[in-house]
Amino acid sequence: MPASVLPASSSASTATPSGPAHSSRLDVAADLLALLHDTATEPRIDTQLEALTLAVAADLPVLLWGEPGIGKTAALEQLAVALDLPLTTVIASVHEPSDFSGLPVVGDDPAVQGVPMAPPDWAVRLARAGRGLLFLDELSTAPPAVQAALLRLVLERRVGALRLPPGVRIVAAANPRSSAADGWELSAPLANRFVHLQWVHDHEVVVRGLGGTWPRASLPRLDPDRLSEAVTFARRAVCGLLAARPALVHRLPGNDVRRGGPWPSPRSWEMTLRLIAFATAANTSREVLSMLVRGTVGDGPGLELLAGLDRMDLPDPEALLADPAAADLPERGDLRQAVLDGVVEAVRKRPEKSRWDAAWALLVRALETGAPDLVAVPATTLAALRRAEWDVPASIEKLAGVVALGRQADKAAARVAAGGSSR
Amino acid sequence: MTPGAAGTLDLEKLFTARLLAARARPYLATALFALHTVESRLVPTMAVDRNWRCYVSPAFVDRTPVEELAGVWVHEVSHLLRDHHGRSDRVAVERGLTGPGDRLRMNIAADCEINDDVFGDGLARPEGAVEPGILGLPEGELMEDYLRQFRLGPYTQSLVWLDCGSGADGLEREWDLGPDGANGLSPQERDAVRFRVAEGITARPGNVPHGWRRWVEEAFHPPQPWRELLGAAVRSAASGPGAGEDYIYGRPSRRSAGLPGVVLPSLRRRPPRVSVVIDTSGSVSDAELGSALLEVAAIVRVLGGRRDLVSVLSCDVAARVVHPLCRAEGIPLVGGGGTDLRTGFATALRARPRPDVIVMLTDGQTPWPSARPPCRTVVGLFPRGRGPRTWDEDDPDYVPDAPPEWARVVVIG
Repeated sequence: MPASVLPASSSASTATPSGPAHSSRLDVAADLLALLHDTATEPRIDTQLEALTLAVAADLPVLLWGEPGIGKTAALEQLAVALDLPLTTVIASVHEPSDFSGLPVVGDDPAVQGVPMAPPDWAVRLARAGRGLLFLDELSTAPPAVQAALLRLVLERRVGALRLPPGVRIVAAANPRSSAADGWELSAPLANRFVHLQWVHDHEVVVRGLGGTWPRASLPRLDPDRLSEAVTFARRAVCGLLAARPALVHRLPGNDVRRGGPWPSPRSWEMTLRLIAFATAANTSREVLSMLVRGTVGDGPGLELLAGLDRMDLPDPEALLADPAAADLPERGDLRQAVLDGVVEAVRKRPEKSRWDAAWALLVRALETGAPDLVAVPATTLAALRRAEWDVPASIEKLAGVVALGRQADKAAARVAAGGSSR
Repeated sequence: MTPGAAGTLDLEKLFTARLLAARARPYLATALFALHTVESRLVPTMAVDRNWRCYVSPAFVDRTPVEELAGVWVHEVSHLLRDHHGRSDRVAVERGLTGPGDRLRMNIAADCEINDDVFGDGLARPEGAVEPGILGLPEGELMEDYLRQFRLGPYTQSLVWLDCGSGADGLEREWDLGPDGANGLSPQERDAVRFRVAEGITARPGNVPHGWRRWVEEAFHPPQPWRELLGAAVRSAASGPGAGEDYIYGRPSRRSAGLPGVVLPSLRRRPPRVSVVIDTSGSVSDAELGSALLEVAAIVRVLGGRRDLVSVLSCDVAARVVHPLCRAEGIPLVGGGGTDLRTGFATALRARPRPDVIVMLTDGQTPWPSARPPCRTVVGLFPRGRGPRTWDEDDPDYVPDAPPEWARVVVIG
């Protein structure tokens, strides 16, 4: 940009009578600036940028919350390059409501023609280009009337009479209330339309970046073969949770601070569903999905959904019972115990000799591949399910150690009880 | 699984202890089983890292009875559930604690926070467990509070061997496998485990110690600071339609000159008028009142920029606090009488022009107006314990009403 303003080359400087010295000084300055701009990039996992990219790819409006000056705009520039979209920045707080709702232009005969709501130039240019990244900066310092006008832009993509084409993606940024003294609270309806991402700076990245090397995030790619599977998975996850917890479907937070953040409503659940589908198709990490889901429906409901997803990943008890020899039990202790409990529960629901035997085989397998204390409780429960006519399988011998373990724990508990009262 | 051989980890004993711990504290079972055990000869006893690995010294397992080992399991997992490493890092930054002994003090303070109610009820107290009493400190406080109250010295000399690992105080240890090592839990997985434990505690609130219940309340819904809430309440009350800065078509915009044929709204700044009503018939302390009043004044100044738009109504009892404060802040004192909050409301509303917002600072021991006042209302409530405290001679059954629904209520302090 400065190059077009300043005399660019030495030939230009010789042509102007007054200024060889002047322009050459500026040339030196330009050289120094060029050196300062000359930075390299290195690949680095950046979960917040990955989350931002995924949400933008899913065509959901994103709101970045972050202190001023920590690189929100720089991240947007990087995102625009990565998605190959032209970037349009609109500072929401310096605009008037009519800039978003359209400027009424009175024509010759309003009674016949009506009064058209004319869109501003940036919207026209975006619409003509057909695609682009619209960045609404300083959202939380925009007056309430501007926020109200933005509702329509964010949800319906309408600016006055103009409708932004589907190729346009919307990202907004806001400063937290604590650092924006003249800020307004984000209204609850507007807050509910966004995926809220907390934008924080990574100390290491900043130091390395100022040293000349900025990170280059690896951006998620959607796998075309997994699309329908991803949709089924996302629907199952969200519907499963909401069927069991109807109270989570809509819950407007009680105080003004939380109303301006993510909160659960049918609209934000629909956004969550879309995000899970995209994250599944892109095979992104749980960390990224966690940021997105908690930023859409809030921490509590988001964590509940994620806990449900963890359970969905566990092997199906029926599949394990069908082929205990090939069972692949999870490595982590708490998940493994959840699986074993599930298996015993499945046997209890439909008690048959073959299933009972298969469950014992699974317990033996669990004992051989992991910690023994995890097996103790399921083994006791399973033993209690035995019918009189069922013979004890030979494999139960191998579980003798577990029984001994349980007995020792009982003894220790008795010692604690005996000594505990005196303490 | 072969016990006895000198120097090898007695896994059977260790896992028996974990089973005992999980039986004594069923709500912690998920967290206990999620820990990945690593044998290490460098650890003095048992230690955890922030990635939920548990390092175990074989010698320590050999010499410790099973019932005490169970207590150590619960103790170590408590460090992780309560995020002691993260809190230690934050405290270190806030208070500039970088000395070599500071992390040890954090470890001791964290131990005090855990140990005061974690043992007993089926769980033996391990030999040498630090309790606040040993340092002459009261029970039931948080790590951050304990940390202020003691220094390393003769009392703590016997504790210097104490080491619960980087999971307790955030300082990397030589034996730590680091974030990239095997079998660690990712931040999202840690949150999920904490969430399951919290759910388990919520499901059986009966016999869970107070410390754990408090943890559940704060784990995923940290308490909001009242300043921020009060600020948000006053800001959104003062900035709603009809008050403060907004757009109107009432007179032409300054942009109109350059755009003939276009009808533009103009920006009008009308700072909100705020009346603060202070009720001090209860026992609101000067310090509480002073800080709350200063906060309201600061918020209003930011919103309107004009001090003459803020007025304060007070009862006689509080005049000594309010008068100097208002003089210092340049706030005009309007009215004065009224021991009943309803009178204060009426007085505030009688002012012409009428206030846009009424902020009421009260301890809630008062009757409330029966009808919604014609302006926005924010109630800053000083909490006064549980249940009715006031006792009226004429009406011993008198219970003060809760603030009405139309007011935005912020609990202060």
